[in-house]
Amino acid sequence: MRKFKLNKENKDLSPTEAQIKRQKDFSRLHHDYEKLTKRGKKPLYKDPKLFILLFLLGLIAFLVFLEY
Amino acid sequence: MIRKKDIAKLTDSELVSLAKKKSRHFGLLYDKYFEQIFRFVFKRLGGKEYIAGDLTQQAFIKAMANLHKYEDRGFPFSSWLYRIAQNEVSMYFRSQKKVFTVEINENQLSSIVNEAQIGNYMSSEEQEQLIAMMNDLEQEHLDIIELRFFQEMSFKEIADIYSISEASAKMRTYRILEKIAKKWNEKQ
Repeated sequence: MRKFKLNKENKDLSPTEAQIKRQKDFSRLHHDYEKLTKRGKKPLYKDPKLFILLFLLGLIAFLVFLEY
Repeated sequence: MIRKKDIAKLTDSELVSLAKKKSRHFGLLYDKYFEQIFRFVFKRLGGKEYIAGDLTQQAFIKAMANLHKYEDRGFPFSSWLYRIAQNEVSMYFRSQKKVFTVEINENQLSSIVNEAQIGNYMSSEEQEQLIAMMNDLEQEHLDIIELRFFQEMSFKEIADIYSISEASAKMRTYRILEKIAKKWNEKQ
């Protein structure tokens, strides 16, 4: 909740150039955006289809190893 | 690859189309409007730099994430950004359990006094009374008062932010001022 208060010194409420420069950072913004949008992406081995494929390849390799 | 020389010639709609294709290109809009939006948020927070910086970044992230929903309806692109920033600030005010104080100066207060026609001169005590009265207004009404008198926006700019006509923006502002004047006269 907000309340107004009288500023009797009449001080200027505009930001200085230094403050603007300090807060302006597109790299941080882009990084935060990427983190937000790419969040929750499953690692490859957790993909059921890929898991079966990897499992089968491993099994074939194991059987070939036993054969020789 | 876009050359710097070409960027200056691009319109907002062209910049938006570029940003829709590749998120990195949103940086062009960010560069163009950061200062404007930061000043707006900074003033609304009464000069709290770091909170203003965080809320501005948050507003731009939201703009970036929702850019695909943006449609050019004849309002300037900046008014869409202002609207997002305005919502961020309002959400911030609501989230604060304690009361958040916004400082206003005497010049800004006297422009309200003049517009509401509640006298020409006010003693310090009367100024404090008027502020206390304004603090009892609904937060949505305070938003409009802030935009008009503290941010010194034109009715056209306010209208663009709320996606309403200029006449409606003017009417809303004067209704609130009438309300303030009525309350003030009742108290005197």
